[in-house]
Amino acid sequence: MQNIAERYTGASVKRSEDPRILTGSGLYIDDVRLPGMLHAAFVRSPFAHARITRVDAGEARQAPGVVLVMTGAELEETIVPGPGLAGMFAGGAPVAAFSQLATDKVRLVGDPVVLVVAESRYLAEDACELVEVDYEELPAVMTAEAALDPSSPPIFEDLGGNVLVRTPVATFGDVDGAFARADRVVRARLSQHRHQNVPMECRGVVCDYDPGSEELTVYSATQGVHVSRMIMSGLLGIPVEKIRVIAGDIGGSFGLKIGGAREDIACAAAARKLGRPVRWIEDRSEHLAAAGQAREESFDVEAAVTDAGEILGLKVKMTTDTGSYPGMGAMLSEMVKGMIPGPYKIGALSFESTAIVTNKATYVAYRGPWASETWVRERLVDLIARELGLEPLDVRLLNVVTRDEPPLEMVTGRSLAGVTSRESLERIAEMVGLEDFRRRQEEARAAGRYLGLGVATYIEAAPGPLGPNESGGIMGPEQLRLRLEDDGSVTVFTSQMPHGQSHQTTIAQIAADEFGVPFDRVKVVVGDTDLVPMGFGTGGSRAATMAGGASLHGARELKAKVADVASHLFEASPEDIEIADGAVSVRGVPAKAIPLGEVAQAARQPGRLPPELAGDIEVNTAFNGGRGGWSGGTHAAVVEVDPDTGLVRVERYLVAEDCGALINPAIVEGQVRGGVAQGIGAVLLERSAYDPESGQYLSSTFMDYLLPTAVEIPRIEIEHLETVPLDDDVNFRGVGEGGMIIAPPTVCNAIEDALAPFGARVTEQHLPPTRILELIGTIEPD
Amino acid sequence: MSTFDVELTVNGMARQGSVEARRTLADFLREDLGLTGTHLGCEHGVCGACTVIVDGAPARSCLMLAVQANGAEVRTIEGLAADGELNPLQQAMWDSHGFQCGFCTPGFLMQITALLEETPSPTEAEIREALSGNICRCTGYESIVNGVLRAAGRDVPSAEPAH
Repeated sequence: MQNIAERYTGASVKRSEDPRILTGSGLYIDDVRLPGMLHAAFVRSPFAHARITRVDAGEARQAPGVVLVMTGAELEETIVPGPGLAGMFAGGAPVAAFSQLATDKVRLVGDPVVLVVAESRYLAEDACELVEVDYEELPAVMTAEAALDPSSPPIFEDLGGNVLVRTPVATFGDVDGAFARADRVVRARLSQHRHQNVPMECRGVVCDYDPGSEELTVYSATQGVHVSRMIMSGLLGIPVEKIRVIAGDIGGSFGLKIGGAREDIACAAAARKLGRPVRWIEDRSEHLAAAGQAREESFDVEAAVTDAGEILGLKVKMTTDTGSYPGMGAMLSEMVKGMIPGPYKIGALSFESTAIVTNKATYVAYRGPWASETWVRERLVDLIARELGLEPLDVRLLNVVTRDEPPLEMVTGRSLAGVTSRESLERIAEMVGLEDFRRRQEEARAAGRYLGLGVATYIEAAPGPLGPNESGGIMGPEQLRLRLEDDGSVTVFTSQMPHGQSHQTTIAQIAADEFGVPFDRVKVVVGDTDLVPMGFGTGGSRAATMAGGASLHGARELKAKVADVASHLFEASPEDIEIADGAVSVRGVPAKAIPLGEVAQAARQPGRLPPELAGDIEVNTAFNGGRGGWSGGTHAAVVEVDPDTGLVRVERYLVAEDCGALINPAIVEGQVRGGVAQGIGAVLLERSAYDPESGQYLSSTFMDYLLPTAVEIPRIEIEHLETVPLDDDVNFRGVGEGGMIIAPPTVCNAIEDALAPFGARVTEQHLPPTRILELIGTIEPD
Repeated sequence: MSTFDVELTVNGMARQGSVEARRTLADFLREDLGLTGTHLGCEHGVCGACTVIVDGAPARSCLMLAVQANGAEVRTIEGLAADGELNPLQQAMWDSHGFQCGFCTPGFLMQITALLEETPSPTEAEIREALSGNICRCTGYESIVNGVLRAAGRDVPSAEPAH
């Protein structure tokens, strides 16, 4: 048993997930074994853009062990046409018509064309080799410039071109006035490169159809079982009630695994046709090429500034490369628009955006999908400081809001209530020792060594301040069901679908405290549409507030119900009932305490309770997020750049963060460090690279798509700031995405600072050694 | 396709099977022996999730064929906890909040097991170097490094006290 802390909430309670994970007894999608299970593999497109002129699967159908071959056309016969997942994230943009497997044309390297189902994965892959597909190549549309050219061949004919959506200029505040008052205008074209989530576990699904009951059971690696079910129901034409989606342990996702992917639909259709379970486990090259990519956005920005460094206004034009098969790319610009002023007193903004389609992988959510608002703003602040010869931190302190002083909201309208950005900036300056660093930097430069300091600050609406009638949930309130069991333990059913976030621990910590039982007497059930309440699942850094709050309020309601039941058993008033140490008693009469389990059992005994109380002691709760609040903080990086090799070493990385009240500090810090590692990887290593002419995908192995390892990521020094509570009870805020939002500008700023003697200006986020040498001037840009 | 008989020791137990020459050791362990604790993250030998110990040395079970393990002594994550009790490394990782999603975990634990058998008290730099062939996408590595230091009985810099 755990050592009993005074309260579990706020303590680094050891994770209940770990005993199974550390012994190899987790149940990941690739571990699911069903009797008679078959194995799927896909024939995928070798071309970025081509018309399919012939598919001949005759030989494959006769190959050893092959049970089913489905072409795109054969699959479509079993599908209800519709946008599926793409529609859910369209954000008002048109959704192109497309098939689950390619039929008429292929639109990216790795586009699935034919499904092969066989007795083993080896045999399925053997048979894929025997499928003949003839293609007529089309010019690949690989850049925003190409997509914006009206003469480029349309990737989706029904869109009438490769522009998905163009939003008109939106203005906030007096933009013309701001630019008229400015001493100067700082301009930049800033671009964020395409990179991707790369969970260590690829996607996968096991579909099992029972012809007798006409029920489909789907084992899925997904961030939300209910969302997966909705998507599959629509496309397969199976009523939601006849689909059960089950998820076990999930080997990471970071926004990618929403379920109901095109491959999932194909496998479900195959299982329905065969009446046997069909398993598909994506391999790494499929994953890197076709599972989805993110972040490819570019910005033309102008900042109206005073010579003192005050930022009066911004003009922003955003272009998003959504790839092929529209995912969430088109909805991003609205999020970026709303957040781009950040915690600064920027009084005017104009914003316009364009989303285009290209022959690349689908744009998917990746840990803080709207992060470009922070990257662009924080990069721009440093560019302004450099142009004015000011310390970047001073420019931030000049422009950042002071809590409870005007302006109380961003120019785009978001409340800045409770924001602690100024405090985090001041704290990071102390942590990093700004003046000492500048001295050391000077000495190092004199010795031919290039050190740099980067600072960047952000806020994340996780969930953001909420008005009395607002909800912090993506699909409305967060629901939770809690039940008192016959052994006196509590079972909590949540629609959160943890994939590394440790929700089975954190939700239990809160419920244990509020209900009054030891932590190990609370079991958190996830991942089964037959069991868990309706909800979006895990995403958007919402779990801490939404599920944490639901756990607190739900446990409170369960306690009240136990008191009601016990008041009848004790013939006492409910107000006098106490729950402590797993037992129920009347206040002042501890000797007559009865174990919680006996209360649960008594509630079902005939005649012991009035009908409205009789039965299982269970509550359903729904939580809107309370008053919410900002998550955020300031990060700093100290880097050293080797001018000969272009290699960047991150010497120190510091974090001053505020994610509200901490549920579990060790888990919070794990989330921060993991996000920072991804951000460092994004800048120094990772890139989803395509050949700009042929559209071939160049990063389909881990020898090409480089991930950070234990030798690149330093220890990360974290301090938690005292937060400003906005709610009476629930002030936990999301922390999953923050590290990945803020680390890229922090590292970019540090590198530009290191390269200041060379006059370098960093305008691209990806800074591998070749790019560093270009910035230094050692080699010519491509 | 013709098959070959293999006999090997896995976590101290004699195991056997009949496999095609192309069957990887990872697939043999996972599919034929039902030992799904070993995970496949890339199947091209970079990520390290599938690391097992073969005759005392860490090996990528995705790059090794089952037939190559004939006669070998193989250890996997399932063999670490004796009699249902976490071993000192597993306990140290639990205490250190070492992992998050758990997918890379089997490879790390086996790589670390091999490291500590050869170097019982490694420095942080030695640990990071030894783990540089294992990719974790969740943690930023610090908690894993702390777990190794703790398992080796070394001081953990500014670690949270465990509860």
